[in-house]
Amino acid sequence: MSIDPETLMAYADGECDPLTARRVEKAMAADPAIAAEVEAHRALRMQLSNAFAPIADEPIPARIAAPLTSNVVAFPGRPRRRFSAAWAGAVAASLVVGLVLGRGLMPAGPVATGASGLIAGGALARALDTQLGSDGARDGVRMLASFRAQDGALCRVFTATRTSGIACRDGQAWALRRTMTGVTENGAYRQAASPTAALMTDAQDLMAGEPLDTAAERDAVARGWR
Amino acid sequence: MKRALASVSSPLEKEAKLSFESDLTALLPRLRRFARSLTHDAADADDLTQVAVERALVARASFAAGTRMDSWMYRIMRNAWIDTSRARTRAAQTFVAEEAGAAIGDDGDRAMEARAELDRVGRAMATLPDEQREAVALVLVEGLAYKEAAAVLDIPMGTLTSRLVRGRAALMERLGKAA
Repeated sequence: MSIDPETLMAYADGECDPLTARRVEKAMAADPAIAAEVEAHRALRMQLSNAFAPIADEPIPARIAAPLTSNVVAFPGRPRRRFSAAWAGAVAASLVVGLVLGRGLMPAGPVATGASGLIAGGALARALDTQLGSDGARDGVRMLASFRAQDGALCRVFTATRTSGIACRDGQAWALRRTMTGVTENGAYRQAASPTAALMTDAQDLMAGEPLDTAAERDAVARGWR
Repeated sequence: MKRALASVSSPLEKEAKLSFESDLTALLPRLRRFARSLTHDAADADDLTQVAVERALVARASFAAGTRMDSWMYRIMRNAWIDTSRARTRAAQTFVAEEAGAAIGDDGDRAMEARAELDRVGRAMATLPDEQREAVALVLVEGLAYKEAAAVLDIPMGTLTSRLVRGRAALMERLGKAA
């Protein structure tokens, strides 16, 4: 009974169907040379697999893993991630600045701590409630854009003397999803402001569809931004 | 604004993206090993792994979620090897240092032995024709089933087994002689 080399090898690798396997085993029992060949196949597999095994235990060089991790961080349109690190500092800064310096402009302070984070207060909250983009600057507060966020909330991008940001309607309050230390009201702020540009970029990330036009804003004011 | 909005992913897409990256990261040790069995040279192997990862990121849209990423990655790496490093590897194998493994000191005896063995086996692999080497690497080093290896290499089963038989016979001869 002769067994071709492919079948012998397949038997050694456990790749034979049961019927063929039995045929090979009979041949091995009858001929020690065939049994030795099967053994040699298995020994070679063991030798190769053992020789290369340590490679898989080595640490992965940074240059190989880097594209996989940096890609996660750099992915555009991931507001939550960006919020956590960079914005934490800006929130803290603007909160302090707002509390300390915002009194003249916004009697009750522009920012307060609500149940689920920072909320707009005082004159800022009132401006968010009622002021339209087409109104321009009023008491140093200007509405740059209003939009529906992907989570359904209505949001507004605002700039004020000391605090700028994105506020989104959350129940009765305006939750501040973004805040930055203010944009100077000197007439040139629209071009000036890298903070404003950053806010608009963030607004785009949050936005579902198109920004509201003036008529839609007016409508939203009438409905209390629900 | 429109263009920026188009790049915003749904939460589900983000999740798929993150799992793509973590799944790929988990495969890196095996991919480096496969690269090493193809190229023999350690620096070439890491170059190849890097190229394969970059190509995978570019081609990620063609990966069907729920299918085997290892097979998909092996195929990408094997194709990258063909495209970028075959000529170089072939040239390099002529100059492989005879006792490269023995020259490295300071390791424990066992580590040195392992390195010498890897060098010996790697040099034997490097003498195989490419088509035999890739078959041997996938089945004997990576442990793929014949069917899986044939799919990665896009060849019929019969072609795979005949390449395997020839590759193994050559390796047995070389490694047997050197032992």
